[in-house]
Amino acid sequence: MNAGEGEKERTTLLPGGLEVRSRLILEESLSRIDARTRSRLNQARQAAVAAASQPRRLGWLIGPQALMPATGAAAVAVLVAAFMLTGAPRLKTPVVDNPATSFDVLDLVTDDDAMNLMEDNDNSFYEWAAAQSDGAAPGAGAST
Amino acid sequence: MPATSGGDTLLNDTAEARSKALNQFLASVELKAYKIAQAGLRHQDDALDAVQDAMLQLARAYASRPPEEWKPLFYRILENRIRDMQRRRTVRGRVMAWLPFRRDEDEEDVDPLAQAPSPELAPVARLELDEAMSALDGALTELPERQRQAFLLRNLEGLDVAQTAQAMGCSEGSVKTHYFRALQALRQKLGELEL
Repeated sequence: MNAGEGEKERTTLLPGGLEVRSRLILEESLSRIDARTRSRLNQARQAAVAAASQPRRLGWLIGPQALMPATGAAAVAVLVAAFMLTGAPRLKTPVVDNPATSFDVLDLVTDDDAMNLMEDNDNSFYEWAAAQSDGAAPGAGAST
Repeated sequence: MPATSGGDTLLNDTAEARSKALNQFLASVELKAYKIAQAGLRHQDDALDAVQDAMLQLARAYASRPPEEWKPLFYRILENRIRDMQRRRTVRGRVMAWLPFRRDEDEEDVDPLAQAPSPELAPVARLELDEAMSALDGALTELPERQRQAFLLRNLEGLDVAQTAQAMGCSEGSVKTHYFRALQALRQKLGELEL
């Protein structure tokens, strides 16, 4: 094929200016969309039509996977924002479930004697505490 | 009761007609919507997800609206979905950039059978069209988002200026500006597309 024939074929194939040619090219590209993609689009359409004929509330129950992309995006955004704001992960603050225990801790902190005892930090205190909890230590009776 | 039965029949007929109309509408836009989503997202599965989400949202929220409103509404939903996915991808990209041994996001498993050319066109004409498509796809992906939207909605989907403005959530004047600039940019890159 010489250049003239090629030009003639192109002109026949893609007439007009940029707008017309680009439209023809885009429409041609639609016809080349593969069968797998067409099949998935068909399935999506059927699902959408089915969803339209059901009550709105049921639609949320039927398609929870529709929420997953948005939920995932939100979770990632929160994680990234938290990481960027804090700079580094922090140690988790211990949570006390039992309110009685939390008040015990409060008593311990506000009691001067208890604080002095803790600040002494010698091993004999721990030995004594262990003996108290066992209830069978030799020196337990003598100390009281 | 006959009256109730008649009313039910009428309701069923109306619902069926609406379902049929919705199915026809979605069938008429699905390929173009996919093409537009692919131009914005440059990823096959993401584009399919965007179109699927837009279809579902239209069906759930706007199926009861008059059918002539569906097209701009659908493309409005689709454009929002594409933008959401672009943002999510940006965040994901930042997170993934920290991780070693990551898989390239743009990698796709290509089905060679699906990619095989159909035999309708002569080889030379097919080659020319392939080149033109490739050039146009490349130029479109380089366009700013709003220009690409305006160009594809007007040129591929054939929406008028008012419908495009509704779909893009902007004024008609903005649509004209975006479209004009898109044409200018494409002309600079492609000439008159005489490949």
